[in-house]
Amino acid sequence: MNLSLKSYSRARAVHVMLVYTGGCNGCDIEIVNCILSPKYDAEQYKVFLTWNPREADVLVVTGPVTKHVEEPLKAIYEAIPEPKAVVAAGACATMGGVYKNIHGDIPSEEIAGPVEEIIPVAAKIPGCAVRPEDVLSGVVAALPLLLNAK
Amino acid sequence: MDNNNKVTTQVIETEVPMGTIHSAALEPYRLRLFVEDEIVRDAELTIGVNHRGIERIMEGLPVEKANSLTEKICGICSNSHIWNSCLTAEKGLEIDIPPRAEYIRIIMGELERLHSHLLYLAHGSEVLGHETFSMRLFYIRETVMELLRMIGGNRVQYGASIIGGVRPRCELDEMRIQKLTEGMDYLEEKIGEFADRFVRDPMVISRISGIGAITKADARRLATTGPTLRATGIEVDLRRDMEQYEPFEFDVITQDTGDIKANLLMRVLEIPESIKIIRQAIKDLPEGKITNRSWEMQDTDIIRSYIEVPRGKLYHSYKIEDGRVRNSIVRTPSITNINTMEFACIGTHITDAQLAVVQCDPCFTCTDRAVQIVDHPLKKIKTV
Amino acid sequence: MDTSMIIISLIAVIGTLIVAFAVSVWLPGIERKFVQARIQQRVGPPISSPGFMAPIKFFFKQVMSPNSPMPKLYNALPLVTLIIVTLILLVTMPQMYFLGAFASIIAVVGLLKIEEIMYMFMGSLSKSVLSVNMPFPDRVKGAKHIDATRSFIEEVSTLRAFRLIAFGSFPLYIALFVPVAMAKSIYLADIVGYQQLNGPILFTVAGVIGAIVYFIGSMILLNEYPFAIMKTKADVIEGPYLEYMSKYRAYTYITRGLLIFVLASLFTTMFIGIPPNILSPGILITIAVAIIFSILMAVMSAFSPVFTFRQFYPVVAATSILGVLAIVASFL
Repeated sequence: MNLSLKSYSRARAVHVMLVYTGGCNGCDIEIVNCILSPKYDAEQYKVFLTWNPREADVLVVTGPVTKHVEEPLKAIYEAIPEPKAVVAAGACATMGGVYKNIHGDIPSEEIAGPVEEIIPVAAKIPGCAVRPEDVLSGVVAALPLLLNAK
Repeated sequence: MDNNNKVTTQVIETEVPMGTIHSAALEPYRLRLFVEDEIVRDAELTIGVNHRGIERIMEGLPVEKANSLTEKICGICSNSHIWNSCLTAEKGLEIDIPPRAEYIRIIMGELERLHSHLLYLAHGSEVLGHETFSMRLFYIRETVMELLRMIGGNRVQYGASIIGGVRPRCELDEMRIQKLTEGMDYLEEKIGEFADRFVRDPMVISRISGIGAITKADARRLATTGPTLRATGIEVDLRRDMEQYEPFEFDVITQDTGDIKANLLMRVLEIPESIKIIRQAIKDLPEGKITNRSWEMQDTDIIRSYIEVPRGKLYHSYKIEDGRVRNSIVRTPSITNINTMEFACIGTHITDAQLAVVQCDPCFTCTDRAVQIVDHPLKKIKTV
Repeated sequence: MDTSMIIISLIAVIGTLIVAFAVSVWLPGIERKFVQARIQQRVGPPISSPGFMAPIKFFFKQVMSPNSPMPKLYNALPLVTLIIVTLILLVTMPQMYFLGAFASIIAVVGLLKIEEIMYMFMGSLSKSVLSVNMPFPDRVKGAKHIDATRSFIEEVSTLRAFRLIAFGSFPLYIALFVPVAMAKSIYLADIVGYQQLNGPILFTVAGVIGAIVYFIGSMILLNEYPFAIMKTKADVIEGPYLEYMSKYRAYTYITRGLLIFVLASLFTTMFIGIPPNILSPGILITIAVAIIFSILMAVMSAFSPVFTFRQFYPVVAATSILGVLAIVASFL
């Protein structure tokens, strides 16, 4: 394993930014639980929360991306410096969830698609809503992409 | 400190917009504050990101599927939507619910009120800047989430109610009742300790007293609903009129001042009332089955149903045609509270304005619907 | 002065600087793990992560051009702040006392002032995407007050930094003048010399009050909770630092740790009489005071919300009055 200062330091301090793109809020609360609740405490795994895209390494996106938030999501993604990884959390972010795939007579026209149609995704976390344990393992699964990038 | 309720300057100079993606916003909304020397003179809140077209998707779905779809409208108030949707169908098709199922539904409804109020307090503490209180509250909230997972199967969005009663999985046996009782004891003790600590802290009290106050007359004019209305002193709680709540005895809490401190105390004091209701429900749980499967589908007219959810009055309506849902409307309490949020910001400092918005317990994911503007009965009707 | 003395002085200065940097990278970690995580009843990150590993990680990130009208000036400011904070440490070292007026309390106060003004420059040059430039259709037909001037949230933060400079720095500066009043001289050499003869100022009545005022003043200077109105998460997110990335952000992280150490070492010089000098065992006391400072600040910040100006003005006024009392007491 390549243990240079670069990959060692990238593994010891991971900054995560959350973006809510119009979902039902269930996954958002579970992820906030993961970071702010002493029972699941993500900081012990060296994962810190930030609200500034310039400081982030990993972007966690929840919700099916609605048309109003497509541009802000792209703007935030462009603002993150390399190396970066995107994690799509929840059924809505991975495949559109209930809103894109189920309808009666009229389909919904507000969804711009799951996250991977707008920005490239490195890890997907299933669940409706995601479990906090799965969120942590999803963020850790996206790490190898960061560690050995240029 | 007095709230400056009228915009005294006619010319607004500076606008500070806080975007859809912001650290104090639990949901994506856009808040434009019009300030003069860091005091807010006017505010405008724009939602629209969360519009996913729920009513459009529901048109033509079979009734059982439409009920489970309404649960996905919101993650915090998920049980309220599915409960009200099932009540609408049962009212229209005239189905009798077994009493044990009614009690279990009430237990789930009150557990949801507990977790929603604890989340509100934790989020409010975080916007105040007090990370320690926020973490303590999230830790207390974990007990409620584990109880929900035990009964319903999932922490969020568990789908307990179905037409005719409750799902077979939500049966309460000895072990579950034991765990429920232990959970309620633990919660009562911890929330009592927290409330003591909270009202004695001079730094927190100086930050929240007198800020963002709404008077009784303003609340009536702006059509506020829910605990925000009760915090101004008007005693209106739909649970008093719902027939499901008749066997239970509880108090309706009100406060006087309508500011942030009153709103936070409202939720803190409503938690022991919910614990009281759950304890009564566990003690008097009637025997019998929990699902009534002997009902028939018929065509009905528009059926309307109102219940009281943690944030106010919830309204569902649809009509059933050939086993499918038509013309559904979902109207959540937060849509009337938007005006209250904009009003409560006026006269406060910018940092307090975010707190004044959060005090009215916004849940915009529930709220985002298409709105039809009816100008005047004789003029044209426009749809947005 | 002969060559060997110059070489020894040079080694002492460089050695003390290295010790200062080496200790200051651990201070944010100690704050986060041993104090705040314990109070919040959770495990917390390892000690090296917030202060040591995070800047190193930032050095290896891509450098993009920040959203700013003058990007090169904006990017140069964190390094300037780091140099100024190092200069404060430098002038308090005994090997530098030959500089005369540059090694006096006036120089220290002036350098601290420049450090505060840096926030104003940073805030006015930062135009991030998180407020005005967010591509959301909100100025549409029917919106309120379409012709108002839009201001970025960093500009709000700049105004707050200006207020902090105007009155928020009173407690620290008044506390710095308590040893001056007791030693009757503004030169650091005289203040240290006075304490070698008469014992530390900390053990007198005026010294105790002055130390408390100094502590609160340094919390205001470091923008710790509850005085974090310039960078509160509730409205301005991060304030002036919003557009910094990669190595410039690493400089801001390093500057923060170093500033805690420098304020603690200034306290040891002025109130205990031990200047930072690697050639004497007093350096251990400087390091111990730095660790105690960060623990006390973390305890205070874990138990308090953010103060708005409604609470800020009275606290600053009360602390300043206390400081003036300390100076009066030092004349008696």
